[in-house]
Amino acid sequence: MSQQTPTSRNSTFANISMVARREVRARFFTKSNLISLAIMLVVLVVGIFVLDYFANRDDDGAADFTVAVESSAAELEPQLVAAGAATGTSLDIEVLSRDEAEPRLADDLDAFLGGDPARPEMLVEEQADQQLLALVTSAVQAHVLATQVTELGGDPQEFTEALAGAAPQVASVAADEDDTEQFGPQYLVAVVAISLLLFALIGGGSLIAMGVVEEKTSRVVEILLATIRPSELLAGKILGIGIVSLAQVVILGAGAVVPASVTGLLEGFEIDLGGTVLLVLLWFLLGFAIFSLLFGGFAALISRQEEIGAVTTPLMFLLFVPYYLAMFMVTANPDSTVVRVLSQIPFFSPFMMPVRNVFGGVEAWEMLLAIGIALLTVPLLVWIAARVYRRGVLHTGGRMKLTDALRG
Amino acid sequence: MPQLEFDHLNKAYGSLRALTDLTFAVEAGEIFGFVGSNGAGKTTAMRIALGVLAADSGEVRWKGRPLDLDMRRRVGYMPEERGLYPKMKVGEQLVYLARLHGMGQAEATTAMERWTERLGVAARRGDDVEKLSLGNQQRVQLAAALVHDPEILVLDEPFSGLDPVAVDVMSSVLAERAGAGVPVIFSSHQLDLVERLCDRVGIVRAGQMVALGTKEELRRTPNARWRAVVDGAAPGWARTVPGAQVLSDDGREVVVELTGHEQGVEQPLLRAATAAGQLREFGPVVPSLADLFRGVVSETEEKDAA
Repeated sequence: MSQQTPTSRNSTFANISMVARREVRARFFTKSNLISLAIMLVVLVVGIFVLDYFANRDDDGAADFTVAVESSAAELEPQLVAAGAATGTSLDIEVLSRDEAEPRLADDLDAFLGGDPARPEMLVEEQADQQLLALVTSAVQAHVLATQVTELGGDPQEFTEALAGAAPQVASVAADEDDTEQFGPQYLVAVVAISLLLFALIGGGSLIAMGVVEEKTSRVVEILLATIRPSELLAGKILGIGIVSLAQVVILGAGAVVPASVTGLLEGFEIDLGGTVLLVLLWFLLGFAIFSLLFGGFAALISRQEEIGAVTTPLMFLLFVPYYLAMFMVTANPDSTVVRVLSQIPFFSPFMMPVRNVFGGVEAWEMLLAIGIALLTVPLLVWIAARVYRRGVLHTGGRMKLTDALRG
Repeated sequence: MPQLEFDHLNKAYGSLRALTDLTFAVEAGEIFGFVGSNGAGKTTAMRIALGVLAADSGEVRWKGRPLDLDMRRRVGYMPEERGLYPKMKVGEQLVYLARLHGMGQAEATTAMERWTERLGVAARRGDDVEKLSLGNQQRVQLAAALVHDPEILVLDEPFSGLDPVAVDVMSSVLAERAGAGVPVIFSSHQLDLVERLCDRVGIVRAGQMVALGTKEELRRTPNARWRAVVDGAAPGWARTVPGAQVLSDDGREVVVELTGHEQGVEQPLLRAATAAGQLREFGPVVPSLADLFRGVVSETEEKDAA
């Protein structure tokens, strides 16, 4: 049978994708993972609908409150609308007589205002809603104020405008105020993206470390290394676990966003995404690749599951350094030399560049250089990590020193 | 005849010399038994052949070409430290390994079915490896070494932990693969098995090949040894035979080393034995592999001590 045509050699790509597919199958399509994912999804979706229910409990598709005013108190109508708008409450206002209104108080009417608009009688079914009471109070006060102003010979319109403008104008000497207005939504996208990167790495990093150690402890690695290159094994592993981590982020993200937009919870969060998102996505993938390789390489130094924490914990803490630097240093001082230099370094750039980008002032060459450096770092790290991996996988017993692993 | 050559392998772990100029060759279709005490360097040599370890110097060749990554895909390997993914199904795992070795999906599936059938684990294809008994895991491990229809077999302790039935299955598989022209090299501490299965045997000690040859070659001592059991003989009767050296004499059973191997060299001894008393048993002493192994190991130990 050895005279059979020898089986063909696999390409590097084929090997990586086979390893990656196995990882996806072993980590994603397992009963336990699918069940926990399903539970999380259900909790998330149910949670959002519950949130939505409470947010809109009194919302029967119409306004928050329906108030009837007697024609004598009709002057209150604009004040009520204004007071409602100020507190974010919508009002339906009808002009009714007392007789018409009274039976409807038990039904859809929340309150009836009659008599003197300066001291109106507020008729309710049982007890006055606190929010409505406050609203009516401020409307009445505004009405009284306007009347007084008119009596004093002033223009109530002008008065209200002057009053509304009577607030300190805050100005900062450091930041450019106009910018703060403009980068709002994109800034949100960038911060959400680097936070997601952080969380995906915290989850994925320990999965990768566990996967590497699993192969060492089960010793299957010896057969694998006799068949494929360590770099192919490591790259496939990181690709597979990366896909699983990203899929979970996407699934859970969709589980939150889809019902939220169906219920209208997200209304008012119009975000102009455009090129920012593409760039953010690119940096997300680069950052994931770079840090995953660190996790994989360091995990190859240890040989027991119990030692994983010794490797992952410091790495997790290290992850927070670029994260917080990006959150605070970049926002405080986007154009400082330190930020410009740090954002070229591969371990900082995936966090810093997306944030710098939304602040503007990143020159095209800076962005391209940082992307180029990060892209070159990935194969370099694959090489180093695979080298450590190769030396480390056959090393059982205690923890191996990094220098020993590199020297080989 | 194509050969799997181990050519002057040297390997040191720090100050410990694991292999010193280890050299031997296994021919296609031959079963080669690799014997040695623990830590003698068998596993190190096999790992170097499979590229899991790098040799300090020397190389392993197949058909005259260095055994590189491409060629290693055609090797079936059973590592000393067994290992498969514990939480992966037997069938899936074997197909995956066959695919990594370069088989197509359909071909890999057929091969997996054939070998699980042959090794008696077909009923467990759908179970996670960790659910199997150790013996069955061992069978799956062998299937993993065979599933890609290898051109060379390198098996480190394939018989350890197997029940007698599995030992028979394993033996017949090895013989069949060798019959198909595959060089088979395996290490074992079960010397009776090695003796039964192997065409040639190599004994390693402290990283060096101290004995190498066919079983007959190894067994042949420079001088013939004969054993006689005589009742009622006067003690020391054998010493009178010219050229005979008495190795042991308990009054009844006597083992004698004669000079050379010529035809009839034992005849004077036989005559002396019949004359001495009632001869019960008379025959040549053929050392077993175990005797050889002990002899070789202790001999070299004495040499080291000197």
